Amino acid sequence: MSTIALKTLFLKEVRRFSKVWLQTVLSPLVTTSLYFLVFGVALGSRLREISGVPYIQFVVPGLVMMTMVRDSFLNTSSSLFQSKINGTITDILVAPIGALEMLLAYVGAAMLRAFLVGTLVYLVALWFTWFPLHHAGWSLFFAVFVTATLALLGMVAALWAEKFDHLAIFPNFVLLPLAFLGGVFYSIDLLPEPWYTVSLFNPLLYMVNGLRYGFLGVADVSPVASAGVVLASFLVLVGVASALLRSGYNLRS
Amino acid sequence: MKPPVLRCRHVKKRYGTFTALEDLSLEVYEGEIFALLGPNGAGKSTLIHCITGLAKQSEGSIEVLGFDTVHDFRTTRRLVGLVPQEINYDPFFTPLESLMIQMGLMGVEPSRERAETLLKTFALDEKRDAYTRTLSGGMKRRLLVAKSLVHEPRLLFLDEPTAGVDVELRRELWQEVEELRAAGTTIVLTTHYIEEAEQLADRIGILHKGELLLVESRESLLERHGGRSLEDIYLELIRKADGRHAA
Ligand SMILES: Nc1ncnc2c1ncn2[C@@H]1O[C@H](COP(=O)(O)OP(=O)(O)OP(=O)(O)O)[C@@H](O)[C@H]1O
Ligand SMILES: [Mg+2]
Repeated sequence: MSTIALKTLFLKEVRRFSKVWLQTVLSPLVTTSLYFLVFGVALGSRLREISGVPYIQFVVPGLVMMTMVRDSFLNTSSSLFQSKINGTITDILVAPIGALEMLLAYVGAAMLRAFLVGTLVYLVALWFTWFPLHHAGWSLFFAVFVTATLALLGMVAALWAEKFDHLAIFPNFVLLPLAFLGGVFYSIDLLPEPWYTVSLFNPLLYMVNGLRYGFLGVADVSPVASAGVVLASFLVLVGVASALLRSGYNLRS
Repeated sequence: MKPPVLRCRHVKKRYGTFTALEDLSLEVYEGEIFALLGPNGAGKSTLIHCITGLAKQSEGSIEVLGFDTVHDFRTTRRLVGLVPQEINYDPFFTPLESLMIQMGLMGVEPSRERAETLLKTFALDEKRDAYTRTLSGGMKRRLLVAKSLVHEPRLLFLDEPTAGVDVELRRELWQEVEELRAAGTTIVLTTHYIEEAEQLADRIGILHKGELLLVESRESLLERHGGRSLEDIYLELIRKADGRHAA
C-alpha cells in the first residue's frame, strides 16, 4: 500500500469539501439547526416527554444522525461521481493506488466532514438544551460505523450511477424518508401495528436509536441490536464496495 | 537490441460483443519514439488504456519492463505516464495544486520545486494559481502533459497530445518529447498529423479495426516505398485494408 498516495488522496478529498464549506458544512448545519428550532424548541415546549426525556432533547441524536448519514453519503458519492463524469478519475486510475487506499481515503474524508457537521449540530443543540452524554463509547461507536457505512454506500452509488438523477435518488428518496420513518422525531412505540413492525425493517431506525441510546440512554431498540444491524450493514458495504473497486466496475472500461 | 519496455502478447479487448482489439502483439524498445497511427476508432486509445490502467484487456498479457500490468499494477503504473486524449481537469484545484496532488497520487513525495519546474517547462508559471477552468484549451493540454511527467515515467504515452494545440506550441511540445527521449524516456504517441510521426518516430505501427497492419522502422518503411511520404503510404495501407474488410 502506498501511504503517500493514501495521504494525498485523503487530503485532496478534505480540501475538496473545505473549499466549498458553505455548501458542505454550513448548509447542513443551518438546515439541521432549523429542524431543531422548529421541532425541538418550538414544538418541544408544547409536547410532553417522550420515552422519559424532554422532547427537545429526544430529537437531538436523531437530527445529528440524520445529518451525519446524509453528509457522509453526499461526500463520497458526489466527489467520486463528479470525477467519473469530468474525467479526473483518470488521475487515480493511472496511479499505483489499490482498492484499499481508495476506500480509506474517500471514506475517511467523508467521515471527517460528517463528524464536523454532526459535532456542530450537537453543540448548537447543547446550547439550547444542555444534557450530559449518557454513554460516550456507544455514541462514538454509532457515529463511526454509521458514517463509514453511508460513505461506503455513497461510493457504491457513485460507481453504479450513470447520470446525476440516479445519484439524487438516494438522499432524497431513500435516506431522508428512511430517517424520518426511522424515528428521528418520534418513538416507534407510538405507532400502531403494522407500522411498528414495518419500522423494525428500517436500518435507519437502528442508526438513529443507537445514537439516541448513546446520547440519552433511551431507545426503541436495544443498543446491542442496533450495533448488530449497523455492523452488519457496514460489513456488507465494505464487501460490496471493495469488490466493485477491485473489479473496476464502471471505472475501468 | 535493448530489452522491450513494453510487451503486449495476444491482447484482445472486447466491449460487450464488439471487438476493439484483435489478438494484438507488440513490443516497444527502450529509448525509442513509437508512433501508433490509425483512423478514428481503430483502437489506439483502447490499447493505451489497457496498458495504463484505464481499461482491462479481455485476453492476453501486457508487461512493462517485465512487470505484468494486472498483477504488478503498482510497479507498472509507477513506470508509466499517460497524457489522455480527452482533456480533463479538476475545477477545484489550480495548476500548481494539481501537479502537487498528482505527485502524491503517483506515490512520489510532493515537491513544490519540481512542480514549479514543470510549470516553467510548459509555460504555465503565469497560470500556476489560476482556476484551471480559466486556462485555454492548449494550456489545459500542456497541464496534462506536465501532470503525466510528475513521477518521471520510463514509458510515456501521448494520446493525440497536439490536437487543438497551435503550431508554435506543437513544435515546442515535440521538442520537449525529443528531450525526454534523449533523457532516456520511451515514448508511444498517437496523432492524426501523419507528418508529425514522419518527423519524430523511430518506429511506426499502423492499427486498423483493432489489428496491427504493420510495425516497421520509419527508415525501412520510407525506403521500401521509395521517396513517397508517410501519409501516402499510410493512406494506401488503410484503403487496402478497408477494401479487404469490405470484400
Ligand atoms: N468504453 C467503451 N465502450 C464501448 N465501446 C468502446 C469504448 N471505448 C471505445 N470503444 C470502441 O472501441 C473502438 C476503438 O476506440 P478507440 O477510442 O480505441 O479508437 P481510437 O483509435 O483511439 O480512435 P480516435 O482516433 O478517434 O481517438 C471504437 O469503435 C469505439 O467506439
Ligand atoms: Mg483515441
